[in-house]
Amino acid sequence: MAAGDERALGELYDRHGSTVYALARAIVGERADTEEVVADAFGQAWRTAGQFDPARGSVTAWLATITRTRALDLVRARGRRSKVLARAAQESDAGFATPLASSDAPDRDVERQETRQLVTRSLGELPEAQRRVIELAYFGGLSHSEIAAELKEPLGTVKTRLRAAMEKLRDALSPRIRQVEP
Amino acid sequence: MTEHRWTELAAPYALGSLDPGERAEFERHLETCASCRVEVQSFREVSGLLARGVAHATPPAELRARVVRYARRARPAILPWAVAAAVVLAILGGFGYWRAANEARVLRTRFDVAQSQLDSTKYVVAALLDSSVAITDLAATGKAPSMRLYWNRARNIVVVAAFDLPPAPAGRTYQLWAIEKGRAPVSVGTFNSAPSGRPVITLQMPAGVQPEVSAVTEEPAGGSPQPTQQPFLVGSWRSRS
Repeated sequence: MAAGDERALGELYDRHGSTVYALARAIVGERADTEEVVADAFGQAWRTAGQFDPARGSVTAWLATITRTRALDLVRARGRRSKVLARAAQESDAGFATPLASSDAPDRDVERQETRQLVTRSLGELPEAQRRVIELAYFGGLSHSEIAAELKEPLGTVKTRLRAAMEKLRDALSPRIRQVEP
Repeated sequence: MTEHRWTELAAPYALGSLDPGERAEFERHLETCASCRVEVQSFREVSGLLARGVAHATPPAELRARVVRYARRARPAILPWAVAAAVVLAILGGFGYWRAANEARVLRTRFDVAQSQLDSTKYVVAALLDSSVAITDLAATGKAPSMRLYWNRARNIVVVAAFDLPPAPAGRTYQLWAIEKGRAPVSVGTFNSAPSGRPVITLQMPAGVQPEVSAVTEEPAGGSPQPTQQPFLVGSWRSRS
């Protein structure tokens, strides 16, 4: 790996490392596992950087997809449930920051801080049942039918809720989403 | 399956929540459906933004070095510089928006150029289609090049249409003169020709000047206060009104 490449990777980490870390942590829970997922995710991002096309999506979305996949793979490989899923079963707090908690992480980057607040607010505006479905899918990696089993709800209801929630989030977050090429 | 049904699968697909059968089916559909791919990506962007809403956790400082070390090992080959450049640009430009912004800028520039060409065409046409327009043909004893001037007296605009006029030599320019009987020539402006030899230029006739004759000389770049050469194109004004 050339020195310039290492610098690029360092910059990628500096910009997105904390988001990737927090996401991995919310899914796997254990600190050692979290670090493994982060290293794994950046390693994969680095290997597949050639397939990443900035015209077709943001770096954030690309990294989040990789991170979620690696984290959920690790949780499954460990034969565990994700931290959020375990918590959800106890109906305690879940993976997304509450509007109150989000203020504990001041971000020097104004744009990022605003995005963070917008995301937290948008999640807060979802009906509780929709938010729950999103959390199970997002942090638990559960499929439609697994969510239905978890919540003891009809499959159709779960599908509708998940879709409605994602559409609401997309509307609410649209100022931060740009159009992509097909 | 209706198109509507496909669209409904985009959000759960982006989250990875489709059951295996449905997922495989939808992936086959995605290969041929650009609008569903866009839909999926828009939900991937939502998913990416949701990561910003996760409860904060501070990575240990030593993780950065580990990530770089690990990636160095994981990388099977040297990263092509173009890929490195793309990633760096994506990062520096912020969240991968640079390319879209860049394309928008390019399109904006193209649009501005087209708009200004259109404006200039409209301006020329408007200057010509006016009852106050006077016309004169400038010729060099019947041979090429030649030139036709349209003088819109109401707006004091002169439209210069030249034919078979080669571009002026390096460091030289063409200059159009308005000549009133018994007075020194007045400069109307300088211009040059395109390689096509058929430039259409609009100049402003100096206020109060009512020339009987117009002429074109070749002058040093920037033009001269008075002609320094014999004109190679000369014509007298006649009014069509």
